[in-house]
Amino acid sequence: MAELATPPPPPTPAPAPAPKPPANVMPPEKAVPAGIRKVFAKHTEGTLLPNRLWPTDVWPNPWKSASYRRGALVLSALILAGTGAAFFLREIGVPLAALRETLHRFAEANLPQVPSWAAEAVWILAKALVVLHIILFNGLFLVWWERKISAHMQSRLGPIFTGKWHGVLQTAADGIKLLLKEDAAPKEKDSWLHSLAPALVFVPVLICFTPVPWGRDLEAANLDAGVLYIFAWAGLSVLGIVLAGWASANKYSLLGGLRSAAQFVSYELPRSFSLVPLIAIAGSLSLTKIAGYQEGYWFGFFPKWFLFYPVVGQISFVIFLIASVAETNRTPFDIAEAESELVGGFHTEYSGMKFSIFFLTEYAYVLLASCLLTTFFMGGGAAPLPFLSVLPSWFWFLGKTLFFMFCFLWFRWTFPRFKIDRLLDFNWKFLLPWSFVNIVLALPYIYLWKL
Amino acid sequence: MIETHSSSLKTDQMFINLGPQHPSTHGVLRLGITLDGEVIVKAEPDVGYLHRGTEKLCEVRGYHHCVVVTDRWDYVSAMTNNLVFCLAAEKLMGLEIPARANYLRVAMCELNRIASHLLFFGTYGIDIGAFTPFLHAFREREMVLDLFEMVCGARMTYNYIRLGGVMADAPPGWADKTSEFLKYFKTKLREYDDLLSFNPIFLDRTKKVGIITAEQALDWGLSGPNLRGSGVSYDVRKTFPYSIYDKLDFKVCVGEAGSCWDRYYVRMREMAESVKIVEQCLAALPSGDIMAKGVAKIPTPLPGEAYAHVEGARGDLGIYLVSDGTSCPYRLHVRAPSYINLAILQEALVGLRVADMIAVLGSIDIVLGEVDR
Amino acid sequence: MIGYFQTIYRGFADTFKGLAVTWRHLFKPSITVNYPLAKLKPYERFRGALLFDAVTCIGCNLCVKACPSDCIALENQKTPEGKKIAKVNWYSIDFGKCNFCRLCEEACPTKPKSVWHSLDYETVFYARNQMSRIWQQGNPWMGTYYDAGEKIYKTPEGDQIPIEEIPSRR
Repeated sequence: MAELATPPPPPTPAPAPAPKPPANVMPPEKAVPAGIRKVFAKHTEGTLLPNRLWPTDVWPNPWKSASYRRGALVLSALILAGTGAAFFLREIGVPLAALRETLHRFAEANLPQVPSWAAEAVWILAKALVVLHIILFNGLFLVWWERKISAHMQSRLGPIFTGKWHGVLQTAADGIKLLLKEDAAPKEKDSWLHSLAPALVFVPVLICFTPVPWGRDLEAANLDAGVLYIFAWAGLSVLGIVLAGWASANKYSLLGGLRSAAQFVSYELPRSFSLVPLIAIAGSLSLTKIAGYQEGYWFGFFPKWFLFYPVVGQISFVIFLIASVAETNRTPFDIAEAESELVGGFHTEYSGMKFSIFFLTEYAYVLLASCLLTTFFMGGGAAPLPFLSVLPSWFWFLGKTLFFMFCFLWFRWTFPRFKIDRLLDFNWKFLLPWSFVNIVLALPYIYLWKL
Repeated sequence: MIETHSSSLKTDQMFINLGPQHPSTHGVLRLGITLDGEVIVKAEPDVGYLHRGTEKLCEVRGYHHCVVVTDRWDYVSAMTNNLVFCLAAEKLMGLEIPARANYLRVAMCELNRIASHLLFFGTYGIDIGAFTPFLHAFREREMVLDLFEMVCGARMTYNYIRLGGVMADAPPGWADKTSEFLKYFKTKLREYDDLLSFNPIFLDRTKKVGIITAEQALDWGLSGPNLRGSGVSYDVRKTFPYSIYDKLDFKVCVGEAGSCWDRYYVRMREMAESVKIVEQCLAALPSGDIMAKGVAKIPTPLPGEAYAHVEGARGDLGIYLVSDGTSCPYRLHVRAPSYINLAILQEALVGLRVADMIAVLGSIDIVLGEVDR
Repeated sequence: MIGYFQTIYRGFADTFKGLAVTWRHLFKPSITVNYPLAKLKPYERFRGALLFDAVTCIGCNLCVKACPSDCIALENQKTPEGKKIAKVNWYSIDFGKCNFCRLCEEACPTKPKSVWHSLDYETVFYARNQMSRIWQQGNPWMGTYYDAGEKIYKTPEGDQIPIEEIPSRR
């Protein structure tokens, strides 16, 4: 290539370096460099796999692989251990009630100068703290679970490193990272509203958990208007999202915030109306009573869950499920944060802890929606078969809630995203009319049951 | 064309700068978009963020070296780039390609079409909001890349198809591995249909959206699946057969309405056709040389010009090559399908919503390396 | 009316088809590997980082001419009288420019090849000057780099060829 520019001469080489390894022999292993490079150097110690893992090699008989067998074993062991623990723990509502009695008696006997409501106040505070921690740990668990489930649905491994066993501590590590992260936000932001928005999103969901019956006598408060209470507070979160969109001074955020306003307000309606038959049949707005109403069995073995009420129960369930997914702002209804269109939607301009609060709220809503689905349609803590009631109610509640949470994750990793106008169409032209039809269909039940 | 909101409301248009750092622009495309609410009033594609001047680079490189440069245009299906350059240069030099090399070339190009369309399938899923198809597609794409790695040692910039033939013969066992992949891939194609193609939400997002009529498509010079999606049966492999395509039996997949879904589904069916082509190539793979006799180390073709075009994964990929008798091309021009397909966005996007815009942009399937070159 | 219900039915049925696909995959083993702890070995022809052997090289300059991006340079050894002999004095490859195109390896006339692609896909450079590798007689296959700060030649840090103990040398 005479036409090629002559290469610039490399630096004149110095005399040959002192260490002279024999030719054609790999140099001996060098000492691991200090500091951060140690991490990288460690990675060169990996085991070399002999061949590529093609699906055609791996899938025909997965049981050949030792790690697959081990995974199945560990999973079944975990389920068995959970069941065993539940069997021996029994109902925890009973000892908790005893604990409350003890607290009251202790206050009466030893602290005569404090007013009588103080003991109850301490008890309520404790309950609030427990609920808060349920939400926080739910976030920790659900993020990890979602990552694992999505990974396996996509033939990946998911987090595997942090916390030794399948990356169980990955979320905790991420949380610490987010906590220490710089709070970067645009200069033009409305600073006060920008900070207020995450709080405004999070507080309602915390309050919403008040009437959730975690098991027999395990609700934080048995509110007579529990259903209304939850829907009223849950609707407030949208304010935070719109605020976040507005305060970020970002066009994408604004679009995301406005989209979610339309979405939330619309989906509140079918979500509430789908429950009208249930409320009418159960004759109460209290979650505890609704769950209690569904205990018992038809013909001695078939659970009297609302889900199994012919036609009405299923229509209600489907509408409530779809509307719940929409309310939690997740795929296929995640138009507010539609990544491929709006970058991050309303939380594009959030980082660090403010961002993670949005994240936490999303997962708290998943938990709330799962709890509600369990309470309304699967009889809360009721055992699916009579003889299974040896296991306590909180175990069944937790199990059903986990099942619904799995469904949420499953939907998210299967479906594409709706479009905002079609989403509203779907709501107003499909879900809402059918929820009205459902109320009409429920009339015979109400007549038969309530007369 | 554009619905304006009630005039009593005081509304203003909003300009959104989409890209070059946006998750859905597939690289570094910048779209200046004027919005009225969520409706697009004006869209201006702005290209050039990945310009590397490869056409000019070819003018100071020998013909063998240019093949390396062609890898960098459409890096998702670099085999077709290799092929089209070699076809043009071989026309200039009057080289006769051995049969085995021809079959290997076509098999590779079709495998690469599968890999490229798989990437489209995955990223289009992401554009629409489904994440799982992306990784499923990459799982299969990985297998194709493994096949490439076995033959030529590279997974992305192959430099496999050379002037006068191919770089290396397929190693023993490669054909079996390929058949294994094809057999597996046919089942996966059906699974993709279940997972994404016929998902009601996906249909809702893409059917009747971003319709490009056949006239529009021809006016804007679209080619490849984008043109066929509009119902025009134009495929370089059939219309101007090159290499051994006239000996192979395959269908030209044509869409109906020209919507996003049609363009999408044309690609999905093309993958099935490519599978058929590769199977035929493997069955009919002749023995013999893989390199033509008498390819000069530093070729100096006689002064002249040549145009060759092939059906790339993104459309009619053409190369115009002028030789002045020296060892470097005097001029090389690429008819890059992505670049020409991209232009229609100005017209196709107007009147759509932001979400539809992503669907249309994704369905055009551009590769910025080819747009900017 | 029937069409309406059919649409609803189709919608739900197709939805469940998609769910079934992800459900099935949930129980299939993953096909990815836990990368830094487990590594895949590339196929035999893999074009990884270039290695060079100063012992077999005859300093014929063919690789320099074959390189499309000018990343190879070399200088022949000279006799005391100033006559070039078929040995390299120094040889350098700039990995910042390298295309990994295999043209240099194909051009190499020696047997075994004096410059060849290893299976190393983990070539990492901590600084830009490390990208330019220089070889002399007696240097290891992966060469040395010139540290501009200390003005000396150094062997690269870290295990540069961890993938394959015996590089495929054609």
